[in-house]
Amino acid sequence: MIESVVIFSILTLALGLVLGYAAIRFKVEGNPLVDQIDAILPQTQCGQCDFPGCRPYAQALAKGEAQINQCPPGGQEGADALAELLDVESLELNAEHGETKPGHVVYVDEKLCIGCTLCIQACPVDAFVGSSKVMTTVIAKECTGCDLCIPVCPVDCIYVKELTPTLGTYVPSLGEIAHG
Amino acid sequence: MARFAFKGGVHIPNPYPVRKSEIKQVPPPEQVVLLLQQRVGGEAKPCVKLGDRVLTGQIIAQTTGKFPTNVHASISGVISAIEKRPIPHPSGIDAMCMVIDSDGKDEWIEIEKCDKEFLNCTPDKVIQRIREAGIVGMGGAGFPTHAKITNAQGAHTLIINATECEPGIMCDDSLMQEYPREIIRGIEVLMHACGAKKVIVAIEDDKPEALNSLLMYNFNNRISIEQIPTKYTSGAEKLLIKALLGIEIQSGAYASDHGILCQNVGTVKAIYDAVIDNKPLISRVVTVTGSAVKSPRNYEARLGTSFAQVVESSEPNNQAHHIRMGGMMMGVDIPNAQYSICKITNCIFVNNKKPQPTVKECIRCSACAPVCPVNLLPQQLYWHSKSENIEKALEYNLTDCIECGCCNYVCPSNIPLSEYFSFAKALERKLTREEQRIDRSRERFEFREYRLERNKKERTEMMAAKKKALKEKMAKDKEKDQEQKDKIAQAMARVEQAKEDKNNA
Amino acid sequence: MHSTGLNTNQIMRQVIYALVLGVGASYVFFGWGVVLQIMLGVISVVVVESVFVRLRGRNVMDSISDGSAILTAILLAISIPAIAPWWVVVVGVAFAIIFGKQLYGGLGNNPFNPAMLGYAFLLISYPLQMTTWPVDFLSFNQAVEVVFNLLSFDGLSGATRLDDVKTSLSLGNELASLQVHSSSQAWINAGFLFGGIYLLARKIIFWHIPVAFILGIVLMASLISVFDSQQHLPIHNHLMLGGTMLGAFFIATDPVSASTTPRGRLIYGFLIGVLVVIIRAYGGYPDGVAFAVLLMNMTVPLIDYYTQPKAFGRS
Repeated sequence: MIESVVIFSILTLALGLVLGYAAIRFKVEGNPLVDQIDAILPQTQCGQCDFPGCRPYAQALAKGEAQINQCPPGGQEGADALAELLDVESLELNAEHGETKPGHVVYVDEKLCIGCTLCIQACPVDAFVGSSKVMTTVIAKECTGCDLCIPVCPVDCIYVKELTPTLGTYVPSLGEIAHG
Repeated sequence: MARFAFKGGVHIPNPYPVRKSEIKQVPPPEQVVLLLQQRVGGEAKPCVKLGDRVLTGQIIAQTTGKFPTNVHASISGVISAIEKRPIPHPSGIDAMCMVIDSDGKDEWIEIEKCDKEFLNCTPDKVIQRIREAGIVGMGGAGFPTHAKITNAQGAHTLIINATECEPGIMCDDSLMQEYPREIIRGIEVLMHACGAKKVIVAIEDDKPEALNSLLMYNFNNRISIEQIPTKYTSGAEKLLIKALLGIEIQSGAYASDHGILCQNVGTVKAIYDAVIDNKPLISRVVTVTGSAVKSPRNYEARLGTSFAQVVESSEPNNQAHHIRMGGMMMGVDIPNAQYSICKITNCIFVNNKKPQPTVKECIRCSACAPVCPVNLLPQQLYWHSKSENIEKALEYNLTDCIECGCCNYVCPSNIPLSEYFSFAKALERKLTREEQRIDRSRERFEFREYRLERNKKERTEMMAAKKKALKEKMAKDKEKDQEQKDKIAQAMARVEQAKEDKNNA
Repeated sequence: MHSTGLNTNQIMRQVIYALVLGVGASYVFFGWGVVLQIMLGVISVVVVESVFVRLRGRNVMDSISDGSAILTAILLAISIPAIAPWWVVVVGVAFAIIFGKQLYGGLGNNPFNPAMLGYAFLLISYPLQMTTWPVDFLSFNQAVEVVFNLLSFDGLSGATRLDDVKTSLSLGNELASLQVHSSSQAWINAGFLFGGIYLLARKIIFWHIPVAFILGIVLMASLISVFDSQQHLPIHNHLMLGGTMLGAFFIATDPVSASTTPRGRLIYGFLIGVLVVIIRAYGGYPDGVAFAVLLMNMTVPLIDYYTQPKAFGRS
């Protein structure tokens, strides 16, 4: 009886040492949680989540000070991905923060622009090119579709252009292939 | 016979052999719709306007960029529209086209009498002629030929791909039987342009007439005409090179890296026309075949001719049709015949509509793996593509798939495997684009934050410096003031003293 | 465009036809019980499959007509004793279809061979009924009476030859003194062997798994006989007794649960053969085909991952 106690104690000690060593020696350097969350967010920097950008929202999520369903540009897939990462129940997108709009960029109607530069200051990714009293235009490739510039324009000359698939960006539909 | 072989591929007998190999000429049509979107280089920009009159062979559009391609008018007439039209593409997305209404005259532009002794021209001049003629790979790839030749300068072997790329297509076969002299000459032009010392013309062994036709006109001992076993996907460039020379070109590398240039025989004929006759690429040979046409034939038609016009002479029946541009393995299904011939239209299949066979589940029988010419595992790629697990699919070499359809052909469950792979590849490109875009947005946002911080800091520093300077100035002023006051006080004191002294005296 | 080869439904049907010789031999030796078990199995499988396919919201006719469920039922029915009570095959088939196929998503999605899963379940849960075989030919009436529990089966039953030999050996009898040859089992195995050769000739199965399986058996049995010859069966007995040929050509070759690469198939088949001999020699059960197959099914993803062929242009 005493032998089995001794044997098992030794075994436990030995295995514990092995596991402890492995935990230190083979430790995986993971990304800090904030970076992982930030990698999922769409980087639109629109502020619809009530935070001044995607990274602040990621930081709040990591601290548990925000819900995962506050990001409309990320869509439901984004919320689900966050739920999976943070190991919480997935939630439906909170409509109070806005609705998910289809992928789009904005463009300036150059005839109406007065060069007030309010849009340049509003854009979170500096996608505008222009200056005071000089016509302003949008670099379409850099626009994230956050729409922060649209309400600030005093002459309402910024419009939305939906992104449609082109020959180069077309992705076939899986459902169509599966059902012939 | 070729000494080597490539693994995989399937043997598919020609389902509708063409009875007469002669190429029938389709007369210039009343209207042509010319596709401006090129395979490489994007959309060609028009260099004529709506309403302009153009002559046959005139350049009407050009792509910009490193390897510009020209688009020529294939008939003479008036530009009646420059707009988006439906094109044969699986997405159904429209592309820019230029429409010319014929004036019935088919008037050519001035063709300068060129030097028939092309050997006196430098290779660069020859390549320039090829570029001006707007020649692209006529086997279906559509890659600008002048670019390919430029990249392969100094090649040691030129391979002429005279295998029909898919079973059922016979345009190359008929070209070799009708224009053997021009093809041999064209090969010699190519040899001069790229500097190759040796040429291998690869013909499949079920085309003895084409072989004999070329042999009869070949007097150049550097051109050897070889037969290869008839097997589908022997028309793929890398696989053909493996079968002829035993060289396996690495994934991501090109034939030009190994000093090999490979050109389709239709492209060679076009090169002959361009360099010897100075005629740009405005027509091509198209095979019309299928179960719904009474007489499958090869036609030579102007680019921009509608499919319906070309198919007419083959007497299609009145039943519902299933039309396909390209071959039965890799072609594109189109809903009707209201499309137009472009530079890479090698075949139009018109079949009677048949009910689609039911698709069953994959039973992992692995009949697909042995036939894959690139030695992939289609059943694994299928599972991962279906579940959109692109990472795993890439591990199984998804990007090497040539979408030949051999796996579809043998699958007992009738699963459209290559469609899943096209989907997976498109999804992978989309995800990479998205990732890059997101990274860029994040970078720009962070830089903007940094810029605003920096501006704020600079401003604060500037204000602090100004304040300090002001304070110093004020202190100095105060000092000066004090000095003045002191001086005045001293002066006053002196005056007072003087007054007092005066009073006392 | 599509090749004119067999489609999936036709493949399943061909496999069922190829079973005819072996099933016929079973009937000759064991009587009408075999037929009854098969009929019961097929009826229950159609019912169970229909119910579950409908529950999953798929088309029932498509599922039944592909023949895979019926094949599973027949394989299970001929693996169990011909005089097993009627509920044995019904429960076994139900377990095989529900837990071995439908819960994973239907045809093509199951990691385990459904027939063997059902068999293993029955063997563990009802060891008595699963090891009591008829010793003589049963007439139709006898079979009906026994299977539907109308008659006690003591007088008609006994263990299989393999089982007998194993018990004898464990009691210390020498191998030479036992009459090991059993013509009934040999004929049945021969029937399945010819069925298997037919499938190979029609290119419905590939040679890799059967050949590797038999090689595995031969090698492992040789190894054991070198080290422990008095205790264990000679090789030809291994090949002609028990479920060897059925396993080699019909069970291990089930494409859904087997390895998919050529090298992988060789490893898979070989290791099943090795395991079968080990289980027969040292395990607690007389025949090891079911457990060997199930164990190797678990290793298939690993085998597939490490036996990928080299793609063109990647060296």
